[in-house]
Amino acid sequence: MKKVLILIVAITTLSSCVVVKEYQKVNINDPDMALTANKIEKFETNFQIYREGASGANGGKTGGGCGCN
Amino acid sequence: MEVKLAEAVVVIKMVMKKYVSILFLFCSVIAFSQKENDDSKEYKKRVLESTEVDFLMSYYSQDGNHASVTGGVGTEELTDITPTIIVSIPLNDDDVLTIDAGISAYTSASSSNLDPFDSSGASQGDDDDDDDDDDDDRILAGNIEGSPWVESSGASKQDIWSSVNINYSHSSDDRNKIWTANVGFAAEYDYTSIGFGGGFTKLFNEKNTEFGIKGQLYLDTWSPKYPTELDSYLEAGSNLNNGFFNGLDILNQNGDIIDKNGAEVWSPINSTLIDNKSRNSYSVSLSFSQILTKNSQFSLFFDVVQQNGWLSNPMQRIYFSDRPNYYVGNSASISNYTSKENIDVFQLADDIERLPDSRIKIPIGMRYNHYINEKLTLRTYYRYYFDDWGINSHTANIELPIKISDKFTLYPTYRYYQQTAADYFAPFESNLSTQDFYTSDYDLSKFDSNQYGLGIKYSDILAKTEVFNFGLKSIDLRYNSYSRSDGLNSGIISFGIKIVNK
Repeated sequence: MKKVLILIVAITTLSSCVVVKEYQKVNINDPDMALTANKIEKFETNFQIYREGASGANGGKTGGGCGCN
Repeated sequence: MEVKLAEAVVVIKMVMKKYVSILFLFCSVIAFSQKENDDSKEYKKRVLESTEVDFLMSYYSQDGNHASVTGGVGTEELTDITPTIIVSIPLNDDDVLTIDAGISAYTSASSSNLDPFDSSGASQGDDDDDDDDDDDDRILAGNIEGSPWVESSGASKQDIWSSVNINYSHSSDDRNKIWTANVGFAAEYDYTSIGFGGGFTKLFNEKNTEFGIKGQLYLDTWSPKYPTELDSYLEAGSNLNNGFFNGLDILNQNGDIIDKNGAEVWSPINSTLIDNKSRNSYSVSLSFSQILTKNSQFSLFFDVVQQNGWLSNPMQRIYFSDRPNYYVGNSASISNYTSKENIDVFQLADDIERLPDSRIKIPIGMRYNHYINEKLTLRTYYRYYFDDWGINSHTANIELPIKISDKFTLYPTYRYYQQTAADYFAPFESNLSTQDFYTSDYDLSKFDSNQYGLGIKYSDILAKTEVFNFGLKSIDLRYNSYSRSDGLNSGIISFGIKIVNK
């Protein structure tokens, strides 16, 4: 956990001096680069919520809405 | 007097002049800014160009040997089909309305064993009660054949979960602020849910940095269904000579028929089942994303979730190790009770699962995506999770989209998951009746899992092919195989088609 936090802080700090202009975002804007799950993955996420104790922190459902996790 | 009046008029005129000047200046600024807004409106891109419709469907199948409805032992065979439609409608340049509606139709062997004594159609039962449970086809004494390993034909064998979610989003003219609000409703035969939420996202640093905050509330209610012997025991006034139990032979561990009027008889440990039917969930989610280079970006997610109410599942049986065992069915099969060979004897439950009425869950997630080249992209995800029930977990996911042509992309994926057990978990016949909380639900046990998948996507940015006067934008097909270290195996095939209004 500590290592993860250090990594996060390091990446955030390093990134703060970089600005990518709009015209440089061709690759960033590729649909496969989206920082979200694909719509079709909602079904996989759904069964994982039922079959596993953990949920959330993926931009989607965190709990509630079903008699599951 | 006249002089004073004249002075007052002068003062009023001066004040009026001052305020008129301020008003004029204010109007000029408004007009100017309005003009600026109008100019920006001329050039701003619509958040969503045209209506998009996603038709999605999945087929899920699983099997395992630790059904929680039968106390942590028994078949977990289950299939589920989930047709879903998602419609995104641009209301104007800035606002988008999204409606997500779907059903989940499942058949489950373990759920069917909520009432393992069902007569499977050739009814010999005689239940005259006017409740809404599914014990009307129950076989009478001497003919019962139930087992955790055999699917019953009771009403709980299948069900449909349906849901509708409506999401509204508004973006500012410069697209640096996004407000969202959502409302949702879901229902299945023993559960209903109403959800509300809202969020705000702010983009900074020439849209290189993004911060978001979201709140969500679910107000859920159980319509509890209980293991049939526990429910029937209360209906019979705790008298084994009444109701369902009238004339029914109950066997002890040795296979002998017990004297129902004797000292050693079966009885559940609790005389009440659910005393609070609500189950509420409150969550706050923070997100942060950052573009690192022209080819890489990452995001962080941090959620805090608080749940209150009846957090255990009233369908799930518990068998205590410190209480004698009683059965209904074939005495010769008692020694093989935990074996699949047992098809005709069923152990009467000591209680339903009981868990604390509050839970705090904290997941922290991270995504990192890297554009390797025009053919290859790397997508990664990691999550650390912990809660106050004692579960700690790690999740790691990697996906490698490979563009094999202009229109086709392959999606090989691998996901690893591991968790520690909840403090209240123990296997079949291992919990103690002296505990406050207990469960034999293997979803809360210690395990790890591996998931392998492959997907293929056809996409046409111009959406040239017409479907129902819409343009076909993409078709997705994915398969994932999931195996858990406790023996649960499953597979899911998902299909999606996206069309856009041309």
